[in-house]
Amino acid sequence: MEKARISSLQLFLLITGFLFGSTLILNPATGAKNDGWLAILIGGAVGTLLLAVYASIALLNPSKTLVEILRDRFGKVIGNIIAILYIWYFIHLASLVFRNFGSFMLTTTYPKTPLEVIIAVFALVVMYAVNSGVEVVGRMSEILVPFVPVIAVIISLGIITVHDFTAFLPVLENGISPIIKASFNLLTFPFGETVVFLMIFPHLNKRENLKKVSTLSALSATGLFLFIFFRDITVLGSHLIYQATFVPHLTSVLIPGINLEPLFNVNLIIGGSIKVVICMYAAVNGLNQLIGANDYRKFTTAVATFCFVLSIWVYENIFEMFDWAENIWPYYSIPFQIVIPLMLLFLSLIKKGNPAHEKSIE
Amino acid sequence: MNSNILIILIIFTILGLYDFRRFIRKKEPAKVVIVHIIIMALSLAIGLFLAIGKRPISPSQWIERILKMTGVIK
Repeated sequence: MEKARISSLQLFLLITGFLFGSTLILNPATGAKNDGWLAILIGGAVGTLLLAVYASIALLNPSKTLVEILRDRFGKVIGNIIAILYIWYFIHLASLVFRNFGSFMLTTTYPKTPLEVIIAVFALVVMYAVNSGVEVVGRMSEILVPFVPVIAVIISLGIITVHDFTAFLPVLENGISPIIKASFNLLTFPFGETVVFLMIFPHLNKRENLKKVSTLSALSATGLFLFIFFRDITVLGSHLIYQATFVPHLTSVLIPGINLEPLFNVNLIIGGSIKVVICMYAAVNGLNQLIGANDYRKFTTAVATFCFVLSIWVYENIFEMFDWAENIWPYYSIPFQIVIPLMLLFLSLIKKGNPAHEKSIE
Repeated sequence: MNSNILIILIIFTILGLYDFRRFIRKKEPAKVVIVHIIIMALSLAIGLFLAIGKRPISPSQWIERILKMTGVIK
């Protein structure tokens, strides 16, 4: 494993940036229309618990990455098979973020630039960041992620005159089931995706802060989602928020006399790049550990090429992308985000309670 | 024929070959070289299919079919 160290603040900003990631483009909470704020609260609360589960797994298996934990808990053969599935999952996730980012840029900002070119340029920058190591990415997050809430506030202030503060009423207009569905979608996207941080947690310099940092990140991201949701719904209304393709983007172009669209794009680039860098870093590092090579950088080009091709291959069009993210992704993610981590936590707790059993396994 | 994909694939192939040259110089273990070649070859093959407009069934469609077959989604 790379002997890099990141501070608690860097990890906090990395997780916050990751959670923010492509949620700007695909916001699952809008599925609950004007009750989206309830979905965010429920999804955020359960997501915080899920992050605490990941942090507990990392604390029960100190200095071990997900691949090493899987091998330790499930044995070499089953552990390696599950590790390969996780590496696939991280590559798939990176490709989906590439595609979200590319489709968004193509639709809103660069309509005449081919999708492949947008994704390829993004992939080359991400490759450079991954090769620079987790410390550099941590420092990058320290500089860039604080811009995310600042830009959100600037956009909100710009449209303060067009707010309708009753837009989220009446509460529970469509019953509880859309809220439950949107909460579940929000849990799997983006909170459950932080399972990828099990490859990053071992780099934290003060391990005792891990639970606090992960909980604070999840709560901060939930707060930011709520803020953006209230801003969007009070400006656009519940009907338009449900029908619009890129909701926060639409809000940012409403400001009269000034174009704040580039600020929104900056926000997206910061969140999207952090998310895709973390996913690709986890994938190449996992592959490196699985094969037993001494440097993860050997696989960055190959994995980036595969991510690029997969991002073009994965969906035929933008509508398929939205449909997949809403209806398939949450169910596909359950084993990776909930089932296997809970099994790992259970097995790690057994190990902690019975060190002799652990020795006999070894 | 999508020439953009072809040009981008050529750029990635050059980067991959640069890595490959380093592997030979540093006498990397065979497994590292093999995994690198498999991933690059797979990417280039799928990329070429996409470039000529013959898109193979994507992993997303496979996953959707599996989930439908197992009754997880309707």
